[in-house]
Amino acid sequence: MSRPTARKPAPKGEYIETDSGNKVSRRSAITGTANITLGGRTVIMADVHLRGDLHPTRSVPSSSGKEVTPTSISIGRCTVVSTGSVIKPPSRISRGQVHYYPMKIGDNVFIGPNSTISAISISSHVHVGANTVIHPFAIIKENVKILPNSVVPAQMVIPSGSVVGGRPAKVIGEVGEGWGVSGGGAGGGLGVGGGGEKSWVEGGDLRELVRSIK
Amino acid sequence: MAQPFPYTYYSCDCYDSKVTSIPANRSSQQPQPDQDEDERNFDPRNPRSNFSLYPIEQLLYCEDCQQIRCPRCVSEETQNWYCPSCLFEVPSSVIKSDGHRCSRNCYNCPVCMSAMTVSSLENPAEPSPTGGPYILACPYCHWSTVETGIEFEKHTGITAQLSRVANGGKHLPTQKERERERDRRKELENRRSRDLLSGSEDSPGLNRDDDGPLTHEDLYSNLMAFYKAQLAAQSSSSMYSPHDLSFASPSSYSRLLLSYSTSSKKQKRDKPSQMREAASPLEGLVLHDPTTDTAAIDRIRREGWSSTLSPAQKLSQTNHPTIRFTDELRPMASILCTKRGKRCRSCRQYLSKPESKITSTRYKIKLLALNHIPRLSLRALSSVSTPTARPSSISSMPSSQNPEFDYNNLRPGIPTHFLLHLSNPLFDKIRVTLATPSVTPGRIQSRVTILCPQFEVGANTDVWDDALTGPGGGVSAASGGAGAGGGKYGGGASEGHQIEAGKIWDRGRNWTTVVLEVVPGFAKPLAGADKEEVGELDEDEDVLEIPIFVRLEFEADVGVEERGLGDSRGSRGGGGGAGGAGGGAGSGETREKREEAFWTVVGAGRIADV
Ligand SMILES: [Zn+2]
Ligand SMILES: [Zn+2]
Ligand SMILES: [Zn+2]
Ligand SMILES: [Zn+2]
Repeated sequence: MSRPTARKPAPKGEYIETDSGNKVSRRSAITGTANITLGGRTVIMADVHLRGDLHPTRSVPSSSGKEVTPTSISIGRCTVVSTGSVIKPPSRISRGQVHYYPMKIGDNVFIGPNSTISAISISSHVHVGANTVIHPFAIIKENVKILPNSVVPAQMVIPSGSVVGGRPAKVIGEVGEGWGVSGGGAGGGLGVGGGGEKSWVEGGDLRELVRSIK
Repeated sequence: MAQPFPYTYYSCDCYDSKVTSIPANRSSQQPQPDQDEDERNFDPRNPRSNFSLYPIEQLLYCEDCQQIRCPRCVSEETQNWYCPSCLFEVPSSVIKSDGHRCSRNCYNCPVCMSAMTVSSLENPAEPSPTGGPYILACPYCHWSTVETGIEFEKHTGITAQLSRVANGGKHLPTQKERERERDRRKELENRRSRDLLSGSEDSPGLNRDDDGPLTHEDLYSNLMAFYKAQLAAQSSSSMYSPHDLSFASPSSYSRLLLSYSTSSKKQKRDKPSQMREAASPLEGLVLHDPTTDTAAIDRIRREGWSSTLSPAQKLSQTNHPTIRFTDELRPMASILCTKRGKRCRSCRQYLSKPESKITSTRYKIKLLALNHIPRLSLRALSSVSTPTARPSSISSMPSSQNPEFDYNNLRPGIPTHFLLHLSNPLFDKIRVTLATPSVTPGRIQSRVTILCPQFEVGANTDVWDDALTGPGGGVSAASGGAGAGGGKYGGGASEGHQIEAGKIWDRGRNWTTVVLEVVPGFAKPLAGADKEEVGELDEDEDVLEIPIFVRLEFEADVGVEERGLGDSRGSRGGGGGAGGAGGGAGSGETREKREEAFWTVVGAGRIADV
């Protein structure tokens, strides 16, 4: 994770902005900061818990002989983790020991509020609805929409372009060709999203959303 | 409702372009027979409308026909098959021979349909060389093949292993073994009938009828073999005769067989004759046995409903249509998915064509409606008038901005203002005419007025990035404010925006906003009104859905096809094809007048109970 800027921004702001434009809420709980990378312009909202302390324990032999800090959570660019969500790397018990595996989240991923994420990988342009639970080692490919209140079973693979929902989550549809495309009509005023209120499109470029979060 | 309020659905008119109109106002029970097509109103509650309304992301656009294309008016072509679980592509030849299920290790739980995982049951005290035994286990509901007594030796080739073992761990005969067994039984039967004819006593060696009842698979393979034998004994000269529709005719059988088998041997014979039906279990005949019913009833009495299957579980067990109980469940091989190209149904032009590589998410061709028709979006006026509260609220939940406007609680009888926002993806200025029935269709009649139904929307330009990064461009005020969504709308009406008939609310580079005044209707008649009996509201009848007819006029370059090439590159994100059209506009080509019209339905919210 890149360090906060030396000159402190306005002291009262909700977010600490890093050099690369990541916005991290002062009210978020981040443990094991050294094991977390944020790609830039990524937002970590209030009451989000990033469990960077749960990192792979197996010693990685490095060529230079130096000790390498293992990565436990790597999040891409323009990804938004909404309030109250928990990002916890998946683990496996083998020979009586708990082993954590590094987790990767891509670019322009939206994680809705109060979700619990333990996927091994979430690709780019994925929209995760609110109150969703993603169990360990699930693999979510690109351009996927997970409906709110879903429970994605452990190790489930969600192919790209799917809409999934339910408990347990099943593929219930396809996102359609226009997924994430804001269209030539984007820009200006309000509501370019199909939903009307939003100034951004699910599965699309989240720059606008990130920009609007202050 | 699939989408949260407010939402916009677009209607594709392929659903009934020729069907007669539905009276807009249900209270006037007399439909005008001579209603002009132009005067038809779109009723979102009409059951037919269900099939024509789509969010704009789902719609394609045929540039040749100059029409929206919905999933119902495109034809699909399967490009590849792949397993959703292991993501391996399956060649179409394998699909034809093995069916549309993954033949690797991908299985779904027969109880909850989750993808199952192969787990080891190895005892750490005495490790086995293979690391087994292995089972298929459901990570969600924890059902596993242990419950039906199935274990595997290896963790790969599950399909092959599963095909050899029946529930309870018993050996499942292969096709060859079945054939041998059938021949043996037939032989037995023949000998017995000969013995009967000759009047001799049953020889002790022949009393081996205790092999147990034939399983479903046995019967199926018997029937297959019987039909094949019948066919072989018949002529195949009329095999594909289309006029021979009798069920017992050889051609029917061969058609039937063809649809169930993969390889059919073509044999030339002549003189077709009637074929007989299966006459014994060895030929696949199944006789209803009442004792199995009573046994099942007894078992349900003994073990209760929990031992039986839900209809969904039963139906998903495609290979075992007769099963009833949980101990008969088998893991289900994952059903494959497809990558499909879509063509316009009337001109056969490709509208979307994904790249064939399974791992690729890009498109070779992608003609999206949202690059061709304006996007409409609605928002309550009050929700944009207090931007100061925004930053804190977005941090709590970005999808719903200020807490002040509750779309799920529209107050009946109180005029509410909404902003209707139209953004133009075309590189030509458009003239828009909006129309809406003054009273919404349905039992709850809400009054709707578009304060400014005729206006212009500026042309889209390729300045998206300029506006974001550049210091000042023409409409940068709008674009700059775009980040904050409604931020620009600052003090609402106080900033010079007016709620006034005939005047637009605001406009920017390629968008215009007008005000919509809605007086939500009452769910129940008011106390003073005549006491006509009004039943309970149906589900979602209290949803305020406003049909809006959108008509655009614009002048486009005649050579617009270039633009099609532009966005057929399928580039991600907006602005595909910007280059081609931008060049065309300047070259002063002949321009033609275009017109486009379609219905949309805007879901404004849910009307509260008084
Ligand atoms: Zn259609
Ligand atoms: Zn598979
Ligand atoms: Zn299950
Ligand atoms: Zn066409």
